[in-house]
Amino acid sequence: MSDFRIIPGDIPLPLPTMGLEFMEPFFHGLLIVAWVVHILFINVLLGASLASVYFNSKGHKEKNPIFDRVAYLLTTPVTISENMGALWGVAPLLLVSILLTPLFYSSSIMISPHWLHIIYGNVVAFLLSYLYKYTWHTLEHRKTLHIFIGTVGVALFYTLPLAFMANVQLAMTPSTWTYTTHFWDALLRADTFFRLVHFYLATFAVTGVFMLVYGMYKRKSDDAEDHEAGVVLTRTGKTWFIIPTVLNFFVGPLVLFSFPDYGIEAFFENGYFWGIILTVALALFALYQLLKDFFNDDLPAKRVWTVVAVMIVAIISMASLRHGMRMGLVKPVLDASHAKTELFQKESMIAFEEAKNAPVAPVITQADVQPGQVLAEKHGCLACHNVDIKVVGPSYKEVATKGYTADQIVELVKNPKPENWPGYMPMPPMPQVPDEDIKQIAEWINSLK
Amino acid sequence: MFDYPIFEMPFIGHRLLFAFDAILHVFISHGAAVGGSIILALTQWLAIKNNDHKLDALSYKILFTFFILATAVGALTGIGIWIHINIINPAAIGALLRVFFWKWFIEWIVFNAEMILLLWLFLIWKKHPLGTPGKQKVYKLVVSYAVASWLTMAIITAILGFMMTPGNWLKSYFPAEPDYVAALFNPSWIPSLGFRTFWSIAWAAAMAMLLTWFFTKKDLELRQKAMRLYGTVLLVCIPFFVLFGAWYYAQFPQAAKDLFWMGAITRRLAAHPEYATYLISGLAGMVLIGAVSIYTKPKHAPVFLAVIMLIGSMGLIGEFERVREFVRKPYIIYDYMYANGVRVADVPYLNKTGYLKHAAFVPPEFREVTEQNKLVAGKYLYQMQCRYCHTTNGINSMKMRTIGMSEEAIYIRIGSLNSPATPFMPPFTGTDAERKALAAFLASLATHDQPALAYQKQLDEVTK
Repeated sequence: MSDFRIIPGDIPLPLPTMGLEFMEPFFHGLLIVAWVVHILFINVLLGASLASVYFNSKGHKEKNPIFDRVAYLLTTPVTISENMGALWGVAPLLLVSILLTPLFYSSSIMISPHWLHIIYGNVVAFLLSYLYKYTWHTLEHRKTLHIFIGTVGVALFYTLPLAFMANVQLAMTPSTWTYTTHFWDALLRADTFFRLVHFYLATFAVTGVFMLVYGMYKRKSDDAEDHEAGVVLTRTGKTWFIIPTVLNFFVGPLVLFSFPDYGIEAFFENGYFWGIILTVALALFALYQLLKDFFNDDLPAKRVWTVVAVMIVAIISMASLRHGMRMGLVKPVLDASHAKTELFQKESMIAFEEAKNAPVAPVITQADVQPGQVLAEKHGCLACHNVDIKVVGPSYKEVATKGYTADQIVELVKNPKPENWPGYMPMPPMPQVPDEDIKQIAEWINSLK
Repeated sequence: MFDYPIFEMPFIGHRLLFAFDAILHVFISHGAAVGGSIILALTQWLAIKNNDHKLDALSYKILFTFFILATAVGALTGIGIWIHINIINPAAIGALLRVFFWKWFIEWIVFNAEMILLLWLFLIWKKHPLGTPGKQKVYKLVVSYAVASWLTMAIITAILGFMMTPGNWLKSYFPAEPDYVAALFNPSWIPSLGFRTFWSIAWAAAMAMLLTWFFTKKDLELRQKAMRLYGTVLLVCIPFFVLFGAWYYAQFPQAAKDLFWMGAITRRLAAHPEYATYLISGLAGMVLIGAVSIYTKPKHAPVFLAVIMLIGSMGLIGEFERVREFVRKPYIIYDYMYANGVRVADVPYLNKTGYLKHAAFVPPEFREVTEQNKLVAGKYLYQMQCRYCHTTNGINSMKMRTIGMSEEAIYIRIGSLNSPATPFMPPFTGTDAERKALAAFLASLATHDQPALAYQKQLDEVTK
């Protein structure tokens, strides 16, 4: 276990498997699928929002209404994917929170408060994206302002993956944790950097595939402008898919080999490298399909759907091999965490039973205690007043020197007069204490003179 | 067992940080989504029934506002509640997730339906104007959206109810074995759901009234019709949520009822429960005066009345959530876990063996208190047990709470935190040496001229 300096504990409650054996593997499967859907929506959100601003300014500069149309068409997938992306982030969060509790919670806290950026940054980016979309016609003649709003929103969206990546990368590598690890440590690491590059490139590739499908539908439109926009989308989609995918062949190995050694070893031992071979082969096939028809603006539907199908398989394969890497990295610490929690509970149970069976010790055991002292303890007076020294309130010896009568003390307990005790914190009134009890307490206080 | 790294929110503290996100979420989810969808369904039904194009156009404008608020702010701050509590009280949310996983999972599926219905509804609304057969489809979508929104609230309310009145959910402490059905059907679920349902509708009606004022500046006839409609809805809901509220209150544990008046204002004003009455009746008065006068004279009522009605409603909602959070103290899950994440059943063991000993994210050299490290160890204890509610020098600061107290006095005070003087505080958990270390750290906040320097000196000496 020398790889790990810190072994966090787990939540001492059972996993909600309902007693079913297959439930845990099912949770893992669900995590892979939900995560893929989430990431795909986020990819389209990031890619389409950037493309929209890009085509908006291109249309403005070249005075070409077709590009403006493309930009406007792209705001619909942005609205859908920003909503669905957030929504489908919830399921992975739910599953990670029960399957990898000690790892994910710890990393979230280590990178806080920056982790909150995924909420507040997101809300602002969301509002800006709506402002951009719903002022399209109002700001038709103030394009610079409109493009500026869009750019700020997009820039903000692009900062959100930084927080995510720092978090998941830190959660996956408990061997790197120190007692002072924080957000910038996690973000400014080679592995986080390469994963971010890989992620942003994949974002363009996925958006490229999306544009092929979207473009195909728009090319069928009777509206001439929509048809032209469809052609632009198809052309852009091809480039956006091909260039980042090729680049990712080179970034991928950099990601893989920046993980800690024990994780890479587990990865290869468990045969997950076959996933890489499969993913690369499928991506190459998809590239070949598109390169064949690279100069054909009227890309046939069969070609588009082949690329989509092949890439869905490639993405699921990639997500599974990633999950394999993740589990290889966290399993040793997760097992240690469970063992530690179990041991703690076992020992805690012994102390709990002991305490339960112990005879209830009287609070004050001296033989000469007066009933007033017992009552003062019972009603919580001694939390703030001590016999000899000043705690929150004055000591009872000091109170005794004032020479209050019992009735005066009853009145003062119910309606304290802070002006009598300058320099002390004002006492809260204690109307719940019965008068009879206060009188006995008063008798005790006055006996302390 | 404290097994998480420490995140400390300086100055504003954790409570305000959390409240900011949570209250924003409640305003929008209850108003724009749950209540709002019901208001929209009602408006659509009336517009279709009377073939009223103006009312239909108004309802689209209200839908547009609610859509922006619900998707951009409501949904995200809802996930935000989770993200916030993740970093503020991981032990508590971890426990809640284990007990409520399947309910949360179902909630997520319903949430999916809710969002998809809303997006769908919003994107097709204009394609099916009033008078076309497609309008029925729009109406069905609105109704389904309203049902889905309400269901998400119904499930989440079960979890909130559980935190205050968990019922007989724990079959045994060691090993902890939850009764999932009992946890769901906890005593305050149904009354609090009824309470929230009716004030959501009333609150959404208040929001719709303010929006109507802005959207009907040029059409006073429409304003009168819409204001009467939403005003009726608001006023009709009031007796219902008052009744459900009383039923809900009856489920509170006695200790929580005792804290009610203190929760309704601040501890500083605990001597004057009448202030809480003034505050609550003042807010309720703002809502009633606004609602009744707009209802009676919709064409002449100034926007100011709608605004005070809205402010009054927000005040009441915020007040309710504050009281609910406050009276649950000293627990975060009643009788199971204290507000600072310590499980009640683990207290004897931690008192015996020490709290720091089990803290995985505290460097080993500070897990045993010595004369040389006690300021640093004390700070760790402060961060792990106190910072849930206190800050060092901001809101509810330890510096102000201990000013003028000697180290010994602080030590004595720490020994009876969960006493009738401060029944809302969890007890200090740890050994006597740890209690002394915490006292030393707290005393250093107020007594040292430069507490940070004394602390830093010790940290450097121990870690060098």
